[in-house]
Parts: sequence; C-alpha cells; structure tokens
Amino acid sequence: MEMLEAVQGARKTKRGGWRTLTRAEKREARWGYAFIGLWIVGFLTFYFLPMAASLAFSFFDFELTNPGDAQFIGFENWRKLLFEDPRVWQALRVTFTFAFISLPIGMVSALFLAVLLNSEHLIGKSLFRTLFYAPTMVPVIAGVLIWQGFLNPTTGWLNQIIELVTGFDAAGPNGIRWLNDPSIIYLSYVMIGFWAIGNAILYNLASLQGVPSELYEAAKIDGATWFRRLWSITLPMISPIIFYNLILSIFGLMQYFEIPYVLNTGTGEPDGTTYFYIIHFYRQTFQNLDMGYGSAIAWLLYIIAITITGVLFATANRWVYYAGGNR
Amino acid sequence: MRKLALALLALAFTAGAMAQVQVRWFVGLGAGSDVPVIPIQEEFVANFNASQDDIELILEIVDNDQAYDVLATQIAAGNPPDIVGPVGIRGRNAFPGIFADLTPYIEANDYDLSDFDPALVEVYNVEGEGQIGIPFAVFPSFLTYNKTLFDEAGLPYPPHEYGAPYTTWEGETVPWDLAAMRDLGMMLTFDANGFDATEPEFDINNVVQWGFGEQWTDLRGRLTKFGAGTFVDENGDAVIPEHWATGVQWLHDAMWVDGWIPNAPYAGSDFLSGGDYTSSGNVAMTHTHLWYHGCCIGGLQDEWDLAAMPTGLTGVPVAKLHGDTFGIVNASENQAEAFQVLMAMFEPANMLTLSDIYGGMPARESLAGEYIETYGATNFPDRDVDWSVVTASLGYADSPSHEGPLPAFRDAEQLYIAFDQRLNNEADFDVPTELALLQAELQLLFDSVR
Repeated sequence: MEMLEAVQGARKTKRGGWRTLTRAEKREARWGYAFIGLWIVGFLTFYFLPMAASLAFSFFDFELTNPGDAQFIGFENWRKLLFEDPRVWQALRVTFTFAFISLPIGMVSALFLAVLLNSEHLIGKSLFRTLFYAPTMVPVIAGVLIWQGFLNPTTGWLNQIIELVTGFDAAGPNGIRWLNDPSIIYLSYVMIGFWAIGNAILYNLASLQGVPSELYEAAKIDGATWFRRLWSITLPMISPIIFYNLILSIFGLMQYFEIPYVLNTGTGEPDGTTYFYIIHFYRQTFQNLDMGYGSAIAWLLYIIAITITGVLFATANRWVYYAGGNR
Repeated sequence: MRKLALALLALAFTAGAMAQVQVRWFVGLGAGSDVPVIPIQEEFVANFNASQDDIELILEIVDNDQAYDVLATQIAAGNPPDIVGPVGIRGRNAFPGIFADLTPYIEANDYDLSDFDPALVEVYNVEGEGQIGIPFAVFPSFLTYNKTLFDEAGLPYPPHEYGAPYTTWEGETVPWDLAAMRDLGMMLTFDANGFDATEPEFDINNVVQWGFGEQWTDLRGRLTKFGAGTFVDENGDAVIPEHWATGVQWLHDAMWVDGWIPNAPYAGSDFLSGGDYTSSGNVAMTHTHLWYHGCCIGGLQDEWDLAAMPTGLTGVPVAKLHGDTFGIVNASENQAEAFQVLMAMFEPANMLTLSDIYGGMPARESLAGEYIETYGATNFPDRDVDWSVVTASLGYADSPSHEGPLPAFRDAEQLYIAFDQRLNNEADFDVPTELALLQAELQLLFDSVR
C-alpha cells in the first residue's frame, strides 16, 4: 500500500494534478501491462465474463437445452430462491452445521500436526512429513471410494477393528453405519477430510519454519514455557497463514461437493444431512438444466462468501499479525 | 492454360464440397465411446460418405462421463449436433424436448416400420414430442444363474421357457413365480458356517452367498419383476401401484428378515465386487440385461446360463427392457439430411454391425434371430448358454417402461433414489409409512410443475 502511495505521489505534481510520465516510465509501464496483459485477458474471458453472464442468467428463465426460449423474468428466480424453495435453507443449514463441526477440527488438527512435525525432538521428520502429505496426491474420488470401503458396516476395516479391539458388535448389516446414520455422518465426513489435510499442514509447517529462532531463544532465556512460547510467539507469527488457511477452508466447505455426491449420490441421505448447498446447485443447474435458477443459487453463495470474507478481513487487524504492519 | 484448367478444377471441387450438407453425429450418451468400437463407427461414416455426394457425415465421439455436459453446452451455445445416439430411454429423459418428431420424415420417405415391434416403436412416441426415435438396439433382461452354485447346493436350475413350471429338488412341480424364486433363493443363501437361509441357525449377519440379486438398476427397475408400473397416473398424480407397494415390503423382508438378497452394507462390499453381483460369483441368480453380458460377465469363471423371469404379482412375468435409438436434434438445421443418415444406419447390414458393437440386439425382428444365433458363438464360444431366453424375454417387456418419463424427472428420481437408499440400508425401515411419505413428496413435486 505504501509503495502504491509512493508511486502515485511521485506522479502528482506540486499542484496536485497528474504529471506526464517520462519515456522511461512509459516504457516501464508498457512492459508491466505486457506482463499482466495475458492474465487480464484470461481473467476477463474465463472469470469476469462468465460471472457477469451468470448474473444476467439469474434474471432469465433459461434452460440449457432450450436457449432460444429464454425469457426475462426479473427477480422471479431470486424470489423462488429466497422465499419459495425450502431446500435452499435446508442446504445452507447443512453446509454451515458441517462447517461449524469440521472447520475447528480441521484447523486445529492441521496446526497441531504441523507443530509436531516441526519439533526438534521428532525422529524421522521427513518420513512423517511425506506420509502426512502423501494422501493429498491421491485423486479425491479415488480417496473417497477407498474410504467407502473402509467404512462399510459389514466388511469395512474400521468396524472390524472396533469389534476386534472392544468386542462390541460393530460389524455386520446392523453394525455402525458410518455413512447412513444421521447422528454420525458428519464425524465420518470429518474423518474423510483428514485425508486431504496435508496441504494445510504444509502451509503451517512452512510458516512455522519462518518464525525467527532468536525470538524463541530470547523467550527461553526469559523462562517462557513451551506453551507460553506457542501462545505468545508461534501463533501470532504464523497468524497470517492461519488466516489464509481459514479463508481457504471456509471456501472449501461452502463448495463441499465430491464427498457427499460420491458417497450418498447427492440425495441428501441419511435424513437430509448430506444435502449440501453445492449439491442443490448441481442438481438444479446440471441435472434439471435450469441455468437461470442455478445462476441465482450460485450468486447467493457468492454473496454469502463475500460477506464472510469481508467480516474476516475487517476483523483481521485484531488478531492477525503482519510484521511491519503490512498486509 | 494448364493453370487455368487446374484453377477451374479446384473451383469445381470446392463448389462441390460446399454443396455438401454437413451432418454431425454425436456419440457418447450411451454406448459407442469405447476405444475398440470407434473404428467400426468410423468405417460406417467413411462408407456413407463414399456412397453419396450430398451429405458429409461427421462423427463426434465424446467420453460418456463428459457427454451430457458437452451436449448441453453445444445446444446452449447454438451449435447442436444433428444426430445424437445411441441413446437409451434414460439418456433421452435427461434431455427432455431436444429431439425432433420424426413423423414428417417417416411419412415423406415412406419409411417402412413393419419390421419393428409396434410396442417398441410406441416406446419412442412421447406425448407432446411425437415419434422421437425408432428402436435401433434392444437389451432384454432375464435371469442369469450361476450353475456352479446350483450344482454345489444340489438344486435344479430355474426354467428357461416362459410359462414353464419349476421342478423342485424334491421333484415337486410348482409354478415359476416369485414364491418359488424365494424358496429357491433361500436354499442358495449361506452364512459363513454353512447354514442356508431356511435353517434356524442361519446367521443373517454373516452371509457369504446369496440366492438372488439385482444389480445396477434403480427402484423402478427392481420393482418391475412384481409387475410393470409407474409412479404417475394418467392424471399426472403420484401413485404407488399396489403390486409395487407389496413388492417393496417383499424386498425389505428378503434383505433384512430372510437375508437371501444382499442389503446395501453387503452390496458395497468387496466380496460382492462392489455391487457387480454376477461377476462376484457369490450370488446364485441375478437379473441382468443383455448389455451386461457384452461388457462385464467375462470375470465370472463359474458356469452360468440364462433363465426366464418368474411370474410377478400381476400374474405375468415381466422382463424389463432397455433400448437404444438415434434422435435428430430439434435445433438441427439439417433434419431432412440427418434422416437420410438414420435410414442408412437402420439398413439391416449396418444395424447388425452397429447394434453388435453397442452390445444390443437389432430391433428389426427379421434380424433378432440371426443376431442371437451368432451372439453366443462369437462372444462365448466355450460356453453352453441357452440364448433363446434372450429373444423370448423380448415378449415380456415392461410397459410402462421402468425408465419412462415422470414430471420433474430429475427431482422425482432423487426422491425415489433416496427412498431406495433407506430401504437398502435400514433394517427398521417402516415400509407402509415411508411409501405414504414418498407418494406425498412425489405429489408435491408433480403439483409444483403442473
């Protein structure tokens, strides 16, 4: 920000007007635009225009298979979205319920594991880091299918292990139904989510390694305990990465799709607990081919995401530490 | 002078090429996108293009996983193909209203439909849309039974002829109906301790072999064996046919009380090949379509054969039918030319070749016998299978079709899929209450799109 102000200030004359750039500055600017030009074209073509088009579609009765019959219907799709379609609110409730359960568990676990993997006392660090990251390289659908077998009530390893260890009658058709019992379905999904925790661990780990060691040394000399050092040095110093992980996790949860779609075929079973918002969007847009209503559903999600992001950024200066005060 | 002649020749060639109408043929919604069958379709295209100068047929093959999205996008972008297919009834339902009524072209070309079963032709006559297809390849269904498992249990095989009775192991002759199939299935179901499902010691929580299973079909498909039916009546209201209501309870009891049909926890397990019951070799009788034998039964090492479907609750056996056709897209500007291509596809020799690579039986009645005679010898030369069951099953097709349209099709489908999931997953599923709930939910949905 300071850099930008400095540049803008340099371009202002003493009277406050804009001065003409020198030839060198113009050449530099042309190169700058040349470098970002391709990105701008890509952004306009693949992001901005489709977004603008989808906003326009949300005011049309537009079925993908009958584009010629598209009709402008004003706010009709939005009225249906906000006041008539109970599945929207059900899907939002499901999405946020799962987010409130999954987000803290995922964030804390990733941080906890990163701290462990960064410990100077850990033997075989490289091996553990590789093991924790390795599942991230497995395609999501393949991973989900493996979990489906692992959680099978009759033949899945998890129930077999539970039965073997505890003696509790966990396996069999009447065993623990990890993917079909509404009371434990989110627990199952959180477990499956651990499969992809490697990225968050990696970011945290990289950030932990960037904390200046002299801060810890000084704190040790002052008699700070391990927990005190974690609380007063580590967490503030890596808070930008925690913030970044938080934003990514929230966006990921709002777009939660593959796991419920593969495991529960997008029906919302058991008992509507897996009817996530993006499932509703997918069904309306790509199964019912109702592009107009689907666009409205997507834009509502965008508005919610922007609002949450705005709130997080607005409060970030209270808990995110940026060295030098720069974001 | 020579240059001028060459230029004129090039101009004439270009003009000729420009005069050709391009007809795009989209393959991917059903069979046809597997690598081994692509060259045969390309050969048809090459032969067609060489046979005349008016139309240039262009083949567009899209992988099945992406075909639905690609086709929808092409239509939305105003760049639709002219011909789509092979496409099944289900694929057709995914794109309601996109196919043109072929009636004007059938009439204009005086196209002879007498070689097709009128009932099958009628399947493609959709209310409000017209005759959107002509049957091309059909896939009858029937029982596939594992002879090895029958022999191990010392039980007689089910009858191959429709209407023939079943002779039990005690020598008693009984009608081949659902009750007989249940009795037989129970005796073919074993737990890990070797007890069959008729014995009091049988452990339903530890089953390793089942008497019957129905793979890769939805609730409507599974219910056809009780009798053909639909969830919508002639007034557009939601309905649960009585024989289907009885059938749902029958299925639940079979899965959760008697244990002779795999429930969902078993179905997803490795020893049932994740739902491919037949190939797992652990299910004695399965209900399969002809396409299954073309694609997937190769993994089963046991001896197997085909048998008739048992008589359902409506007093007749029902062998549900899958069918493929080719549609001409409504938005196509070359519908007349596209119909010329269809007529070439439906010529007996081409139909025989193409339906074979799609794994189906030609829909022309004159070809069905010839096809099935060579089918076994070509595909299963080392097996002794009674393929006459396939042609016989064609006479017991479900009407209304289990893949027939419903109001708000996709949402209605999700409702009964969710119902089916719970039926298959919950031992304490209250069938009458849940059926009433399903009907109420379907009614709400149907009302919302009236």
